[in-house]
Amino acid sequence: MNRIWAIIENTFKESLRQKILLLLVIFSILLIVVSIFLEPFALGEAPRILRDFSLAVSALFGVLVVIIIGSTLIHKDIEKRTIYTVITKPVRRSEIIIGKFLGLLLLIIILVCSMAVIQQLVIFFYEGSFDFSLLIAIPFLILEIMILLGILLLFSSFSSPALSAMMGIIFFIIGHASPDLKLFADQVKIPAMKYLAYGFYYIMPNLENFNLRIDLVHKLPLYPDQLLFSICYGLIYTIFLVYLAIIIFEKREFK
Amino acid sequence: MDMAIELENICRSFKNHFWQNKKQVLKDVSLEIYKGEIFGFLGPNGAGKTTTIKIITGLIRPDSGSIEIFGHPANALKVKKRIGFLPESPYFYEHLTGYEFLKISALLSNQKNYKSGILGLLEKVGLKHAVRLQLRKYSRGMLQRIGIAQALVAEPELLILDEPLTGLDPIGRKEIKDIILEQKAKGNTVFFSSHILPDAEAVCDRIGIIIDGQIIKVGELNKLLRKGLKTDEISLEDWFVKQIKRNE
Ligand SMILES: Nc1ncnc2c1ncn2[C@@H]1O[C@H](COP(=O)(O)OP(=O)(O)OP(=O)(O)O)[C@@H](O)[C@H]1O
Ligand SMILES: [Mg+2]
Repeated sequence: MNRIWAIIENTFKESLRQKILLLLVIFSILLIVVSIFLEPFALGEAPRILRDFSLAVSALFGVLVVIIIGSTLIHKDIEKRTIYTVITKPVRRSEIIIGKFLGLLLLIIILVCSMAVIQQLVIFFYEGSFDFSLLIAIPFLILEIMILLGILLLFSSFSSPALSAMMGIIFFIIGHASPDLKLFADQVKIPAMKYLAYGFYYIMPNLENFNLRIDLVHKLPLYPDQLLFSICYGLIYTIFLVYLAIIIFEKREFK
Repeated sequence: MDMAIELENICRSFKNHFWQNKKQVLKDVSLEIYKGEIFGFLGPNGAGKTTTIKIITGLIRPDSGSIEIFGHPANALKVKKRIGFLPESPYFYEHLTGYEFLKISALLSNQKNYKSGILGLLEKVGLKHAVRLQLRKYSRGMLQRIGIAQALVAEPELLILDEPLTGLDPIGRKEIKDIILEQKAKGNTVFFSSHILPDAEAVCDRIGIIIDGQIIKVGELNKLLRKGLKTDEISLEDWFVKQIKRNE
């Protein structure tokens, strides 16, 4: 446990020091705050726009952070050869992967929660009361980020940061197009295309499961069993990805 | 005699690019390092010293051959607990201070009460003044020293050092040699690489010479020297060069 904690702490601090992070934080906060000034153009839709916009910004923020930092997480250690003194200690390679996963996740959780606080403050400033119903979006955003982080770790366990980041983006896009993909698969007539589309649909993570934005903005009812399904789905998918990353990392050489 | 490290018929090749042919870097390397000795692993640049050490520490795998440390497979966790390793021209997390880096090293080595040990180590390697300095502000020699300190953090029975003396000033070299000798006095084993013969001469019980991926000589230093020095009074360096030339 001490060993994993040491890696978590180091990953956390190392990621926190990245300059790009500060840039993203400032930019995101600015975007959320600026949304206040959209009011005159909103024609009575302001409360919705405010919610929609700030939820979208914090989601995008989380995704960008995980892709930018997650894609270099392993590679930097190998490139800079800092991994040599870590991997030759009595540490399991799985502990290194898990420690890195949890270290960056912890950082992102803290950042995303801070975004939520800012979002609430902006709503309070604007409407005179908080809207805590929005907070339920956080755990689901974090689940989505966990899946993406799993994908990034998986690809960086054997390939370059550029490829890992690209795969992260591809999974993000296809993952959110999942319902459309299903629709396409259902309707397309050419068999080969149909199987391919279904194949993609089942393999790629369905990230729309974690997108509660529309439901929250329009105050639609949320169904507990559906939410529970999404939570299990996210956890299992993540564990599977991290497990794969560990298997590949175990085989890896450090030349 | 008990073995600390046992390498048997290790071969390893590398491919620089996938269209190139493989280049064999280690050719049937066999070595036995006894418990409690200081072993100097010598050879010119590119001979395969670092590659051998990477295989011993499990950073890379051999294409063929076997490796045992204290009679166990080299990558077993219980074996790693007994090893301290200094990589060649080491790089560490730049944002950490000397103390923080040793703390992580201690935690990774399952050391619980590390605090006093770390401060003692930092003093021993002459970095007491740099405890709170970030590693990116360390000089080359200071990095080498902190590298030795992290290798010693778990009081290992076997110390593997890849060129521990490069980048150090004469005082530093002396200090590191003293640390190596002190390890031996404690009954520990030290395996280190170098291309500088006098360094080995000062501390080693035995040396092994690797040239172009092949071990050409292993033995007690003074015995090897006597053979070379029999005919004329050449220096150690000359003898070394002669050994290398003979193998080309
Ligand atoms: N990752 C690698 N890919 C391809 N070739 C490599 C790799 N690592 C080492 N080599 C080659 O293997 C040979 C031995 O390298 P090695 O680093 O083991 O030498 P060395 O004895 O440690 O030399 P030095 O004294 O310069 O440190 C060299 O010819 C080198 O080019
Ligand atoms: Mg070397």
